[in-house]
Amino acid sequence: MGEDDRHDLELHRLVSARERSAFDELYRRYARSAYGVALRVTSQDLIAREVVQDAFLALWRAPEAFDPTRGAFRSFFLSLVHHRAVDAVRREERLRRRTERAANLEPATGEDPAEDVVEDAYLRVRRKEVRAALTTLPPAQQQVLEMAYLDGKTQARIAEELGIPIGTVKTRTLAAMRKLREALREE
Amino acid sequence: MTEDHERIDELLAGYVLLSLSGEDAAEADRILAEHVPSCGRCRATLNELQAVSGDLALAAAPVDPPETLLPRIHRAIDEVPLAGRTPRRGALVAVAASAVALVALGGLSLVLGNRLSDAQTRAGTALEILSAMRSPGAQPVNVIPQDETPPESGMVEVSAPDVRRLYIAAEYCPEPAPGRAYQLWLGNDDGWEPVGEMFWPEDGVVLLELEVDVARYDEIWITEEAAGPPPSEPNTDGPSWFGSL
Repeated sequence: MGEDDRHDLELHRLVSARERSAFDELYRRYARSAYGVALRVTSQDLIAREVVQDAFLALWRAPEAFDPTRGAFRSFFLSLVHHRAVDAVRREERLRRRTERAANLEPATGEDPAEDVVEDAYLRVRRKEVRAALTTLPPAQQQVLEMAYLDGKTQARIAEELGIPIGTVKTRTLAAMRKLREALREE
Repeated sequence: MTEDHERIDELLAGYVLLSLSGEDAAEADRILAEHVPSCGRCRATLNELQAVSGDLALAAAPVDPPETLLPRIHRAIDEVPLAGRTPRRGALVAVAASAVALVALGGLSLVLGNRLSDAQTRAGTALEILSAMRSPGAQPVNVIPQDETPPESGMVEVSAPDVRRLYIAAEYCPEPAPGRAYQLWLGNDDGWEPVGEMFWPEDGVVLLELEVDVARYDEIWITEEAAGPPPSEPNTDGPSWFGSL
């Protein structure tokens, strides 16, 4: 576990003790990443704000939901944000089948239009590692991963849109996740 | 059992990406409830895949949130202090606090016998319901008696998206006819899926906890069925309760 992960653990411990300054520090560390992924998944500013607000409120109100024995706080919290963003997208989709998503979203990999956003060095480093790992994936695996994670699509829908068997989507997804797991494994 | 674990790994990968639906999602829920807790390999795999999933958020470009967001969160925190919060559903709290009976389903079915006689665990589950209600994403839903079903037997469903659990509570649930039991169904465009094992109220009280990703469903239906394995379709006769998620 790295120094930054340990710092997160300490901040989380203080949040559990209702320390507002520790909560603000976690917000400062993760709000940009949280808002970035929420915006990418929902593609709607208002919904992304709600998602991020709900995630931070959930952290404040039920900090015990994070179990340090199961991984880093960073992964837990960003998964929470992603989960809420996907839920928000699917809720909306059920209410009215969405028209085509805006086509001008930034790519998941490659040049980052928001590199000037100030964030902690360790997150910047990790972000580069994640993106570098993604670029090592075969394009077909990258594609299903992006459609699932960043577009919030089900495997069934991905198979339908790509015109491939769902078994192929599953195989590509698992292969991609395994490669990323190896590439991103932390000591 | 390499082949089984390959299949399980595929499901776990889809699960952590929230990309399963239909039968795959139901199968993943079953595996998470029945296999993963007792399999060290799968627990480790799940944790590792979840870590990858969390880090994938970093693939999206970071964006400065509006400056008004943190003050808004502060206001929301201050408006609903942790102590002395007013629950949104008095009836559910009454049921949860009394914790006189519990029927455990889904992920808890392995320890069903223990839980029914374990008052401490029952109280723990009641507290979990209260905790779920505290979640800003909690969505209490009335599950309304249909047709001839006693009107006072309404149930309340609470979902906790963070932990993928669904809770059902009722105070005045009638006993099913002899040889019959209640079955919970969740529905979406793909149809109805039976969720968990059949259950019976105890002194009218129902307290259910299910591990399920509620976001995949639109509707909840509780029907009376012949006791045993769940049928393929809900029974449209007899008492039933219905709610829109």
